[in-house]
Amino acid sequence: MENQKGIVEIFAEKIWKFFSSVKLAVVLLIILAIVSVIGTVIAQNEAPERYLREYSQATVRIFDMLGFFDMYHTWWFVLLLFLFTANLTVCTLDRFPHTWKLVTAPLKPIDDDSLKAVPFKKEMIFSAGANKAEERTAAALKARGYRYVESRGPGSAQFMTQKGIYSRFGVYITHVSILLIFVGALIGSFFGFKAFLNLPEGSASKVVYLRNEPMWDQIMAALGIAESPVIHDPQVGVPAMPLGYYVRCDNFDVDYYIGPSGMPTGMPSEYHSTLSIFDLDGQKILDKRIRVNDPLTHHGITFYQSSYGTIPDARGKVLLNVRLKSDASSAGETIAVDPGATAYVPSIDRTIKVLGFAPYGMRNPATGEIVFYHTENDEYINPTVELEVYRGHGGGKPIYKPAVMKTDPGQPNMPENYVIAYRGYVGARYTGLQVTKDPGVWVVYTGFIMLCIGPLIAFFGSHRKLWVRIQDRQGQTVVLVAGSANRNRISFEKEFNRIAEEIIK
Amino acid sequence: MESSLLFNIATLAYLAAMVLYISYLAFRKNAIGQTATAITLAGFVVQTVALLLRWRESYQMDIGRVPLSNLYESLVFFTWSTVLIYLIVEFKYKTKAFGAFVMPVAFLALAFINVAGISSDITPLVPALKSNWLFYHVLISFLGYAAFGVAFAISMIYLLMNIDEKGPVANLFAGLGTIVVLAPIGYLMASQGDRMKTAFWLGLGVLVLAWFIYLIVAGARNKSQVFLFWSFCITLAIVLLVAMGIDFVYLVSMKNLAAGESYKKHMFESTFLNSSTPVTIVSWAAVLAVFSFIWSKGMGLKRLLKPYIPAQDLLDDVTYRMIAIGWPLLTAGIITGAVWANSAWGTYWSWDPKETWSLITWFVYAIYLHARYVRGWKGAQMAVISAVGFLAVIFTYLGVNLVLSGLHSYGGLN
Ligand code: HEM
Repeated sequence: MENQKGIVEIFAEKIWKFFSSVKLAVVLLIILAIVSVIGTVIAQNEAPERYLREYSQATVRIFDMLGFFDMYHTWWFVLLLFLFTANLTVCTLDRFPHTWKLVTAPLKPIDDDSLKAVPFKKEMIFSAGANKAEERTAAALKARGYRYVESRGPGSAQFMTQKGIYSRFGVYITHVSILLIFVGALIGSFFGFKAFLNLPEGSASKVVYLRNEPMWDQIMAALGIAESPVIHDPQVGVPAMPLGYYVRCDNFDVDYYIGPSGMPTGMPSEYHSTLSIFDLDGQKILDKRIRVNDPLTHHGITFYQSSYGTIPDARGKVLLNVRLKSDASSAGETIAVDPGATAYVPSIDRTIKVLGFAPYGMRNPATGEIVFYHTENDEYINPTVELEVYRGHGGGKPIYKPAVMKTDPGQPNMPENYVIAYRGYVGARYTGLQVTKDPGVWVVYTGFIMLCIGPLIAFFGSHRKLWVRIQDRQGQTVVLVAGSANRNRISFEKEFNRIAEEIIK
Repeated sequence: MESSLLFNIATLAYLAAMVLYISYLAFRKNAIGQTATAITLAGFVVQTVALLLRWRESYQMDIGRVPLSNLYESLVFFTWSTVLIYLIVEFKYKTKAFGAFVMPVAFLALAFINVAGISSDITPLVPALKSNWLFYHVLISFLGYAAFGVAFAISMIYLLMNIDEKGPVANLFAGLGTIVVLAPIGYLMASQGDRMKTAFWLGLGVLVLAWFIYLIVAGARNKSQVFLFWSFCITLAIVLLVAMGIDFVYLVSMKNLAAGESYKKHMFESTFLNSSTPVTIVSWAAVLAVFSFIWSKGMGLKRLLKPYIPAQDLLDDVTYRMIAIGWPLLTAGIITGAVWANSAWGTYWSWDPKETWSLITWFVYAIYLHARYVRGWKGAQMAVISAVGFLAVIFTYLGVNLVLSGLHSYGGLN
């Protein structure tokens, strides 16, 4: 009796078949490749004014409707990715059982029927007798690391062996890695966030400002299940995410490459901020100097050096270090002075007055005179301070008027028995931090590792099977060598021929 | 600087090797072939030493960075990897037939550097590039690109060998006609302002893509279209290189770009986009001439080469092997880039144009790998996909920096 299938079953089967096809995969890959181009031609996520400058109003409206300005997040692009994922999943589920069977099933002795499907075969008459043939076969297979199974019948013996069976899994490792990467990315967008924080030197914050809110919090809040931790303050305008601790910027600085003249070129070599983490009670937990490419992570939240800027109208404090010449190893004493103000330094019984701060000073090597330059955006290319040093608590005439700059060598010309060195100008700038939390990143990285390994196994491994049948046919010993390889056939053919030759000789 | 002298020696060695490989095909004398291999090998060793020296020099200059950090170095490294992979293929397959096709790729890239006057200064790295990931990322990606380059050269041979007739002259006229019609339209639209220019490029892109898809899906049965594609690829390679060479010579010697000014804005100004109409017309006429020359001489070239070229199955196999090497490298290149971005900015993927184009390239080769499992897709289609893949590689490498904008500034031609 014919098996009657319900309409649902037929439909499900059709869908399964549709999604397991490689043709669909190729079509989807072609479509993905083409639509991805759009987002590279049209600048993404720009301000509306910029689009209006570049395209006509009607075009902007159409592009906007199609989502071309944030293309990779449109519903239809996500749908494409979803279809692709479904394709990959179904295809993998569809084929894996076959592969598993193939891998676990023991090798079957070959017969004349199944021989037809085997690509490499050689049949030869062997004059030295069946025993000798078996001996040679065993030796030839062993020499190449093939572990064989024997099967015996009346008047015939078979050696069966296979190698490189693991290579069948390479494709699966590859395909699953793609799924893992997608899953990791989803975890990231559900439970993670991207935020920024512009933190002035010397200040601390316990929140960061979100670029995108964790989807999970949004969903939970919308369903009324749990309140989102995100703070929506209409005065700030940007949603804020509490960190659960304080982060403070102790200082931000830019280092510049030093040119051949020994003076800094305008080319930055490093941006760095010193960040400290305090718990909510004000206990310091740790600090770290972060640089581009070397962030700070605390409780799953990572702070990246991303930009910096000047705070309008803010005045900083000059940090100076004073140390006795006789005591080169000591850290000395660091003092903070407002420009225009004075500070008494007990260890040397002197008062230092800071006349002013300039972002770029240069000393004329011949005259020792200092020349100041303007810099773009007030970048501190070679920060320089002019000082006056007074005896005791001040009053009277200054003893001398030194200028110290960042690039001064360790022992600038100081007439007395101590050295005053420039340490920083803090408080007039903020550090721009990119702040992210991405709990999915380890899933993605696992996918990455598998994606590096999988193709290597798939491409460079090869599942090779070999059969040697030694038969007695009317008193003659007939040796049949047969083999197949799912890959790298050309090199297998060479190996196959050599094995056959070694048996016959 | 010592390294630059060695780089020049290597360039000359590759030039000699290119000439020798071509004469080997023409005269079939073993001695010529062996000399070609020896000279290639010598050039390769010299270039390796030069790369290491340059690395050391950067430390002597207190900059200390991997010699893979700007356009100059990446082009040099591209030729180095191409030659490396070519030598491996030659030894493994014991054929010198590919040398005549691969060595020109390597030599032209080096010649491009010299003619172009791309700065070979060792400049310090901006903070974002100061990471060990830069090294892995660029090293791996360029090895992959080189494998794709070799695959492309062999696919071109495959296509040529696969075609038995150049087809009706109507095809040539259709091809020429398309250029004759499109060039002035593009010209006119570009003069109407940026919007029209964008519209033109978009339209042209759609047209080209449609043709590629036609070729891949149905074209293998239409051999004369494939021949047109072959002629198109070869013409494109020749014309782009020559035009950029002229551009550089012109800009460097006549106009002197303002400091810091990007070459990108002046691309093709000395030829196709010249302000003088006669020069423009002559340039386009030259393109037409090259195109029709290649189209009409292709069959002759095939007859000439036929006896020396290995069997088509082998060509197909070598192409597949090259992609099987290149694709995992490209994959690892994209992944190292993603990991690097994550350590620098906290996002492993930001859909920046360069990233996206490398992904598109990756898709094209993924299509190649899966197309073999689609019924009826065979050699010629595979060769077309492989060629389209390499066009995507070139666009990812140079085109994105020239035409689009993004984070990967280091490839910039300024
Ligand atoms: C971007 C996603 C994908 C990647 C990176 C990928 C990667 C690979 C690789 C490296 C191979 C080995 C190719 C070879 O042996 O030449 C392969 C084979 C294959 N892939 Fe994919 N693939 C992807 C998506 C898909 C999808 C969506 C399907 C769904 C139909 C699919 C079906 C297959 C099949 C049937 C094979 C052949 C397996 C075999 O040799 O037994 N792939 N894939």
